Amino acid sequence: MASASSTRIDLPINRGEGDLELRIEMKDGTVEDAWSVGTMYRGMENILVGRHPLDALVITMRVCGMCNVAHLYAAALALDAACAVKVPDNGQRLRNVTLMVEHAQSDIRHAFLLFAPDFVNPVYRSHPLFEEAGRRYQAFQGSTAIETLQETKKAIEIIAILGGQWPHSAFMVPGGVASNPGPGDLLQCLHNLTRFRQWYERRVLGCTIGRWREVRSASDLDAWVEENESQREGEVGFFVRFARAAGLDRIGRGHGNYLSFGSLDMPETTSVVPPRRGTTFVASGFARGTTVEPLDPAQVTEQVAHSWFREYEGGRHPFEGETRPYASGEEGARYSWAKAPRYRGLPTETGPLAERVVERDPLFTDLVRNGPSVFARQLARLTRPATFFPAIETWLGEMAREKESRYYAGQAEVKSGRACGMLQAARGALGHWVEIQDGRISRYQIITPTTWNASPRDSQGVRGPWEESVVGTPVRDPENPVEVAHIVRSHDPCMVCCVHTLQGGRAVGKLVL
Amino acid sequence: MGGRPSRIVCVGNRLAAGDDAGPRVYDLLVERGLPDGVEAVDGGLGGLDLARFVEGARRVVFVDQVAGFGRAEGVVTLDREALAGAAPNAYGHGAGVAYLVRALPLLLGGDVPEVWLVGAEGRVDGERLEAVTRAALALATNGRCESTTC
Repeated sequence: MASASSTRIDLPINRGEGDLELRIEMKDGTVEDAWSVGTMYRGMENILVGRHPLDALVITMRVCGMCNVAHLYAAALALDAACAVKVPDNGQRLRNVTLMVEHAQSDIRHAFLLFAPDFVNPVYRSHPLFEEAGRRYQAFQGSTAIETLQETKKAIEIIAILGGQWPHSAFMVPGGVASNPGPGDLLQCLHNLTRFRQWYERRVLGCTIGRWREVRSASDLDAWVEENESQREGEVGFFVRFARAAGLDRIGRGHGNYLSFGSLDMPETTSVVPPRRGTTFVASGFARGTTVEPLDPAQVTEQVAHSWFREYEGGRHPFEGETRPYASGEEGARYSWAKAPRYRGLPTETGPLAERVVERDPLFTDLVRNGPSVFARQLARLTRPATFFPAIETWLGEMAREKESRYYAGQAEVKSGRACGMLQAARGALGHWVEIQDGRISRYQIITPTTWNASPRDSQGVRGPWEESVVGTPVRDPENPVEVAHIVRSHDPCMVCCVHTLQGGRAVGKLVL
Repeated sequence: MGGRPSRIVCVGNRLAAGDDAGPRVYDLLVERGLPDGVEAVDGGLGGLDLARFVEGARRVVFVDQVAGFGRAEGVVTLDREALAGAAPNAYGHGAGVAYLVRALPLLLGGDVPEVWLVGAEGRVDGERLEAVTRAALALATNGRCESTTC
């Protein structure tokens, strides 16, 4: 609890809605403790109980306005498994392309519209790159901010074309996809993608994706930045130079546990080679430090000791999970509407960095040798599209060539059973667990990436990932805690999309991240 | 009628009470039918990506739930300038219609159509829903708000 000389600050994380906040306690200019507070009960799972299983496709994609393809894909995976149906190659390719495009768009917007604008914070006025940061990231004025708005606009059209509709395009169904794009559609998608990739290579990397892939260690990265002007002045090069000078490689440590559910099931026939050979393009696994072990889905549990849900002992696997809000009593001890997910009983961060660590990517394995950091998380997010673009192009080309490959395999009516759909959304591990009885959903549990990262304490009192990652952080100005903002943004929180009422006047809250 | 259409883009989440005014107006519009030259879009939680529905339109009327624009309960009409003025300076996961409207000149170049927002403030009962729908249709049709609640 707060001592006489400590200060408690509430930091609303989502500006308009206030559905997620971080409470930090500071002493002598350093964060001493933190509580991650989900301030809004959602209860999406309870909306699904009693409905037809296919309703999950339509309803769960409204969990999030930014990751709706990921939720659709997770629901479809769960129903594929419940139906015991195999998705044909073209259906698989189409699903994968849409999810990867959603990731790439999200990564770029996060990097340049959400994370980088903090480099223009007055606290960096004496930073040698401050003025250049302003020219790049000033909202609605910076050159990179403007180009990001323009270049990411076309990406969503790929999803609209392949899904046949956007938004609310529930085009994934058990057994494949409901759409059947023609040659002109695929050509248009390739055109949009090529433009997006060219911009990414020119502006973000400052080199080809092939050259970037040769960067395999922290020392390689330093040499790569200084190799030529386009890499030095590209966005990745600028990020490395600014972030290192600002000390972002020394803050945001956390528990050092990483989780990836893996995603993007590989078609049976394809020339795409995943970074780590397996049945999915993005590898699954759990890592403690840099020691990686295979994913065991049975090790996923959720605890509620500090959450406003009806108490149960220890943790429950989502197949045994329940969503029963219970807000009365024990206020203070219970402080969040988010549950506390654990893997093997451990808090674990998830997201692009976790994917790279689980995949044993040599650069990121090197960067997290002494623990994660804001720098490593953000670099992983900024460069993730480089791992996706070549595969997207190949899969679009294969869809155009392999006209005989089907998009839909048909499906069986499921009367009873249970199954799960686990994948990597843009912000990390996403799971949907469904139980069906008499042809109706009897239980549905969802664990989103932000629930992992923004988890409250568990029954052992162990902090959640970003609670842990801010503790010990020195803050120069408690009225302007940009260091904490960097750490939280490096986890890319998203708990907002259910409600997004437009707010007039000033945002309520002492400090706004 | 020909030419560019007017679009009523209804924004919100039909699964979240307090954020479902837009989808409810969309349902009403579809049920009753639209005048020639007017299209309705269920924009859901589209945010910045709704730019694709602004592109190529003659006039765009967004319909959304709003808060903090003066009246505790009522129908609010904002023009493009007022809407852009309500936008947050920085992007976020809650960046909605106002952020989109402020970004439109950057997204569409010089080809930004006439833009309005009809907002439902407070509890949205049947009467208010009717008023919002009338205001949105009037703006989409002739660029003037004929409702007394505007």
